[in-house]
Amino acid sequence: MGSFDNINYSLRPSKSIERSLVFEGLGRLQAALDLNAQIYVGMGSIWFADFLMAHRLLGIDDMVSIEADDIGYTRAEFNRPYRSVDVRHGRSGVELSAMYLSEDHRQRPWIIWLDYDGPLDEEGVEDLRNVFSGAPHNTILLTTFSATGAAYGKPKDRHERLKRLLGGVVPDDLDEDAIRDGLPETLASVTMDFLTSAAEVSGRPGGFVPAFKLVYTDSATMVTVGGILPRPGARPAAKAVIDLPSWPGIVEPRITAPHLTLREAAVLQAQLPTEVPLTRDNLQGLGFDLKDEQLASYASFYRYYPTYAQINF
Amino acid sequence: MTLLGKAEANPTKSFFVRMITRDIALEDCILDLVDNSIDGAWSLEGGRPIGLNQAADLSKYEIKIIANEGCFSVSDNCGGMTLKDAEEYAFTFGRKETSEREDFSIGVYGIGMKRAVFKLGENIEITSTWADGSALSAFRVSIDVNQWLSPAKAKEWDFPIYSADPGADSGVNIQVNTLTPETAAAFSSPLFERNLRRILARDYTLHLHYGLRIILNGKAVNGWQIELRESDAFQSMRDAYPDDADGRGEVRVEIVAGMAAPPPDTNDVEEAEGDERYGWYAICNGRVVMAGDKTAAAGWGTEGWPQWHGQYNGFIGLVVFSSVNAALLPLTTTKRSVDVSSGVYRRAQAKMREASKRWTSYTNQRKQAQEEAKIAEAATRPLSIYAIPARAAVALPTYKAVPKEPSGTINYTLPKKRIQALASALGSINMSYREVGLKSFEHTYDDFVGDD
Repeated sequence: MGSFDNINYSLRPSKSIERSLVFEGLGRLQAALDLNAQIYVGMGSIWFADFLMAHRLLGIDDMVSIEADDIGYTRAEFNRPYRSVDVRHGRSGVELSAMYLSEDHRQRPWIIWLDYDGPLDEEGVEDLRNVFSGAPHNTILLTTFSATGAAYGKPKDRHERLKRLLGGVVPDDLDEDAIRDGLPETLASVTMDFLTSAAEVSGRPGGFVPAFKLVYTDSATMVTVGGILPRPGARPAAKAVIDLPSWPGIVEPRITAPHLTLREAAVLQAQLPTEVPLTRDNLQGLGFDLKDEQLASYASFYRYYPTYAQINF
Repeated sequence: MTLLGKAEANPTKSFFVRMITRDIALEDCILDLVDNSIDGAWSLEGGRPIGLNQAADLSKYEIKIIANEGCFSVSDNCGGMTLKDAEEYAFTFGRKETSEREDFSIGVYGIGMKRAVFKLGENIEITSTWADGSALSAFRVSIDVNQWLSPAKAKEWDFPIYSADPGADSGVNIQVNTLTPETAAAFSSPLFERNLRRILARDYTLHLHYGLRIILNGKAVNGWQIELRESDAFQSMRDAYPDDADGRGEVRVEIVAGMAAPPPDTNDVEEAEGDERYGWYAICNGRVVMAGDKTAAAGWGTEGWPQWHGQYNGFIGLVVFSSVNAALLPLTTTKRSVDVSSGVYRRAQAKMREASKRWTSYTNQRKQAQEEAKIAEAATRPLSIYAIPARAAVALPTYKAVPKEPSGTINYTLPKKRIQALASALGSINMSYREVGLKSFEHTYDDFVGDD
């Protein structure tokens, strides 16, 4: 079952913020690394939200969306937002392997965003590993997966499960918190370490430069990690972009955007930006209230906060 | 006959450097440096055999390793090398025939430090602080590899030694800057660091047990605690004997072997992960040189021994060699395996075979009475290898074949995702496929057939 059957993508404020942060980062990398004629490869589902941004913000024409589900594929074809989106019907491993071998695709840098609905599993890990042997120079790799605890077994089994999934890069000493409340952060850092190591294991010239690490919660907690597979000489340039304090791709703590009414959002936004952090007292003074983490998340990311309205037609 | 000239046969330096650095893994180079530090500490402690029943205390010694994308260093407080050591021994390529060191050291070939630094990078600085009488003295050797290899210096093999300010403690500090690209890539990999930590924990388990501290990138390495499982029915072997190394000197040999974990239910290759612990270990003057061996090096698959099979998982055996003269020990130059042609090793192998055979035959027999065997195995308690009492042989339960009800095998293939989801619901996401099959059969049987 595809996630389009249980989530209305357009109503996930944290996801929307995450996507905006990623694309702001991608834009900066595009400017700094001289990435000409990029190809965007993703899992557009039926919403294509990331494809819209890739075309609008990054000016990428050639885009490939991979869809394994039969009905999902038909709906994706129907919802294709631009003529130049190529929707491919198949499992990601098979479709990506074919693209790695294609002469046209091999000559150009990719942005590849493996955005899985479910937890990271063996198939996903294999897809990630293969990027390092297959993808062209200056490719930017991102992956998103669910960090919901139950999907990785019961707490007592999770450490072992992660070791089986990601191998020796999983530390031998993970404490209780790391596999319970801190599981999303653990998954983010271990997966990032896995990607860094995969570059070395596959002997990839230029290695891997970690660039994206975001944990966000709408109904489920999701993890996005990724980075750059620079051409050997471009490693210092890539690092220079990531090392800037204003780099948007690595965010702590979790993005937990509250669902706000238009009125709440407008009132809150009018208080920002501010040197002094907003408090719940301020908020109560304005006439309403939020949890501390919701307020902090809104204050950090209000520039990326989506506005929703119902349309009747 | 007229002499026309001489054909030049001296090795070129670059050939030499390539040759010594090509056949060794990066990890093993680092271990060579750690070996040197440990030899320093061990000799300060009086130099004696290192085995499983020592009263050694290495707790005042510390070896710090830093390895990252930009640089590498190892520093210790293990006594340092003296100026005389440096002039006559430490920087010579290979051990001089005249200098047989007799101090239970592990640095056998006189190649470790040079090989390591050439493998790691291009700019090397070695400083040593040592006790010169009652005061501390120090020297420094800087090596610029590219300059040293330049044609202009083709005939100059020596490294100049300069005076330096002594450090706070006597010890050696080796700094390598300008790492080779391969080294820099490895040191930036979290997997490399974690595996190096695991190797340090395993290969220096004896020294760490005796109190030595090894700090890798700011975090202490915890030694691997090797335990074998014991009960009245399961008893590990622990034997010791001297070997005269065919008249060249004495090598003390200790052998410990037994069950570290019950044998597996499944031999499925995909599920055999974690089995690198099992098999044979060889330890030479304290250093593990062969770990979890399942190959002909330990004897598997050679005459009279079966090939290693997943069914044998759970077995651990250690053979510990120590000698005042490291040249008598059966280890290879990379210290990553045993020299199987060594007489000392061959004689030990004969005893190792007995322990291996008892285990392989136990794993065959227990198939006749798996439930009974599992209960007996579960009743064992782990015992540290240092605490196992002397026993000439491994003792394990024996099971006779019982007449079996005719049975069939059910075999089917399903997507991993679905198996994992069911495994998780049945108790553990990591459950073996075999167990998932059995449990789901039992459930279905209860539902549709009911009690027998």
